[in-house]
Amino acid sequence: MNERRPYHRPMPGNWWARPPYRAYTARELSGVAVAAYGGVLFAGLVSLSRGPESWDGYLQFLRSPTSLALHVLLLAAMIFHVITWFQTLPKTMPKMIVGGKHVPAKKITRIATLAAGVASLVLVLVVLGVAR
Amino acid sequence: MSAHQNEKRSLSPLLWLLFGAGGMLSALFGPALILITGVLAPTGTGLPQDFLSYDHALALARNPFGKLVALGVISLFFWHGAERIFLTMKDMKAGPAKVLAIMTYGVAAVVTLATFGLLLAIGF
Repeated sequence: MNERRPYHRPMPGNWWARPPYRAYTARELSGVAVAAYGGVLFAGLVSLSRGPESWDGYLQFLRSPTSLALHVLLLAAMIFHVITWFQTLPKTMPKMIVGGKHVPAKKITRIATLAAGVASLVLVLVVLGVAR
Repeated sequence: MSAHQNEKRSLSPLLWLLFGAGGMLSALFGPALILITGVLAPTGTGLPQDFLSYDHALALARNPFGKLVALGVISLFFWHGAERIFLTMKDMKAGPAKVLAIMTYGVAAVVTLATFGLLLAIGF
């Protein structure tokens, strides 16, 4: 019998770890850091609901070198997320036309990344100012 | 029964919306939040020692705006991560789609409900 034997282009199992896909994999895995930080905050909420002793335990964790190292890593991953998020933005939004001309993707990325940096900076400064 | 009642509607647009909202929220304020709650406040850099005291944390969690921020940040960050991890693991063929969905969207859904419940339990 003539069975159908279509050609399948070989694809190594670790294609996602190789260029050019590696860049996409890294970008998508930044979502792990975003969710992990959500998990840190969720753990704080659970501790808070259990009372002062539980909350103190959570604070002790936050002050531990492990937690500080974790947060530095999370911060680096989050900044990577910010950069890649706004690189993707022009591809996921409708074409932007200002004054009858298309706004170039790179310009959208540049302005949006700058705006996000300002947003984060303002939040830090407001918290530092209010808490003073 | 009319025809469109039989149509199976996809959840994808809703999941995509949550993913996008979480991505934008974290892109705008994620670095600041991690810096404040994870580095500046625990080390007391530029912030008073009692910044993270139980009373302060409780006051934030009892404030309606504080509740909204907590629910929004925690749940949307989880939905954002869930979408990215699910699609990446599916592309990697890391397991059956149903298992992957439970491990990602399932976790995000449980955390969202738990956060909602905890914020209600903490009271106003």
